[in-house]
Amino acid sequence: MTSEVREKKIKTNGIWLNVAEKGDEGEPLVLLLHGFPETWFSWRHQIDFLSSHGYHVVAPDLRGYADSDSPPTHESYTVSHLVADVIGLLDHYGTAQAFVAGHDWGAIIGWSLCLFRPDRVKGFVSLSVPYSPRDPNLKPSDLFKSFGDGLYITQFQEPGRAEAAFAKHDCLTVMKKFLLTTRSDFWVAPPNTEIIDDLEVPSTLPDWITEEEIQVYADKFQKSGFTGPLNYYRAMDLNWEILAPWQGYKIVIPTKFIAGDKDIGNEGANGTIKYVKGEMFKSIVPNLEVVVIEDGHHFIQQEMSERVSQEILSFFNKLRNITE
Amino acid sequence: MDLTFTHRFVKVNGINMHFAEKTPSFTDNGASRPPPVILFLHGFPELWYTWRHQMAALSSLGYRTIAPDLRGYGDTEAPESADAYTSLHVVGDLIGLIDAVVGGDREKVFVVGHDWGAVIAWHLCLLRPDRVKALVNMSVVFEPWNLKRKPISMFKSFYGDDYYICRFQKNGINILQEYGEIEAEFAKVGTERVLLEMLTYRNPGPILLPKGKSYDDPVSLPSWLTEYDVKYYVSKYEKSGFTGPVNYYRNMDRTWEMMGAFSNAQVKVPVKFIIGDQDLTYHIPRTKKYIHDGRFKSHVPLLDEVVVLKGVGHFLHEERPDEISKHIHDYFLTF
Repeated sequence: MTSEVREKKIKTNGIWLNVAEKGDEGEPLVLLLHGFPETWFSWRHQIDFLSSHGYHVVAPDLRGYADSDSPPTHESYTVSHLVADVIGLLDHYGTAQAFVAGHDWGAIIGWSLCLFRPDRVKGFVSLSVPYSPRDPNLKPSDLFKSFGDGLYITQFQEPGRAEAAFAKHDCLTVMKKFLLTTRSDFWVAPPNTEIIDDLEVPSTLPDWITEEEIQVYADKFQKSGFTGPLNYYRAMDLNWEILAPWQGYKIVIPTKFIAGDKDIGNEGANGTIKYVKGEMFKSIVPNLEVVVIEDGHHFIQQEMSERVSQEILSFFNKLRNITE
Repeated sequence: MDLTFTHRFVKVNGINMHFAEKTPSFTDNGASRPPPVILFLHGFPELWYTWRHQMAALSSLGYRTIAPDLRGYGDTEAPESADAYTSLHVVGDLIGLIDAVVGGDREKVFVVGHDWGAVIAWHLCLLRPDRVKALVNMSVVFEPWNLKRKPISMFKSFYGDDYYICRFQKNGINILQEYGEIEAEFAKVGTERVLLEMLTYRNPGPILLPKGKSYDDPVSLPSWLTEYDVKYYVSKYEKSGFTGPVNYYRNMDRTWEMMGAFSNAQVKVPVKFIIGDQDLTYHIPRTKKYIHDGRFKSHVPLLDEVVVLKGVGHFLHEERPDEISKHIHDYFLTF
């Protein structure tokens, strides 16, 4: 009854992306965009679920990851490049308008897609990362300075630094440190400490992931490394520069935001959850639904796979005027 | 003709932008609607000043006319980083300018573009079609983004290393050079002579600047360019230099890379396109056919009209100011 996930390489925007695919090609297309440091595999539950509920699901390894191409310098990892990669995929499938879901960096790509090519997006689900108004006078690196050198984003800037820190651990350990994190602060390491050394591996695995599944990630990153993924962070100032045309822009595409209340950055009064429930977010994304999942952490589409799958499905179905 | 303008400065997208403004002098009796805004975008090597005739004519017809010096030009700030001159930077400036001018309502404006200003206008229409009511664009057609046509290597293979765009590429990364290569050559030739060469160029062929080319032949001013006009351009270019303007050419490949998301995108804004039949751009191989055989319209489906002016060169809005002003007004009147 269940067909397998098909993987194939597609040429888009001058590079090859490895793409996982499932479902009937005649059905509406859902594009799933993973985060850092992940692969299409993070969407395995949603791929099965959505494809068995009337959708053609497409989930790429993003530029710089796993079996996709990895251009060498961070200048090739701006949101303009990442959006162009995605548009190339939609063109490949002949999809005029797609349903899109993105998590973490995949959410940032999704938001950027809503800026560059709103004409290509039917509806967008963002996991974990909301859309923030661009501050014309404060570029990201200056904002991050206020968090000090311990902030993971700051530590990810210098080419080679995080790669060297990660390399002190085997890939399986690195993946466990990320995937199994339950920290909901903004990921600031103590002085003179690399974030990867500060993240802890729990003594037992949670029930939502197995050792074999974590090994799938470890094997991919062992081969492709972390520079491609880290380059996304290194292009953040450049992104800020090139997003100037959308200063003050309102995203009117139907959007749903989903996050766990224990996700990174949700600790404390000024966390993400407060922001997404507030007036500012609603004013720039007026056509918005917000779902906060109790006890959910960062890798929410894996940790609470059924709930997230249902929330995504019901949202896309509603846009198609389908009710359960 | 009243050629007095208000000069204003506004901080946009991190730079201090200068723009000239000319508004209707009469008050519309009882009308509560503010006058429609036209944003004029100049080309290379020009300034806001190139639009003086249109601003005078159209403001007297009830439009609020705005013409900035684009980033790097004239009295607008020229960021030091040579990388800060992609279309995304410039469109970012213009969105800031439009917001400052029309206020918080996020209303649409009319846009008129020529030469580099036309290129920027096409990109403005791709990036922010929600801010453009209609466009009159001149001289440079819209061609869809093409993965196989990375700009500089394409120009090099079509026209060779002496093609002006290829000659403009080298910037001042050599610590022994204060300027880029072409700026140093321009300095030797002299600002006035460089501007005169460009502004009076009437050869339908591509601009070639072989090294060692002589600039000694006398240049006579065409009827539409006065000594006063030349003095104005020279005074501004002597102050701000050519690096800012030339940096646009140095960012063509980067802009191309960053516009990949628009690979099959159409311009979805109403457009009227005007070109002179002596313009070098009209004589780029296959351009006439592209304009007239339907392909231009297939990429700009709301292309309402194409006007080819007989006997008119590249600076059409200066050569035939009244005609161009009328074309602009006739078109915008329909909205």
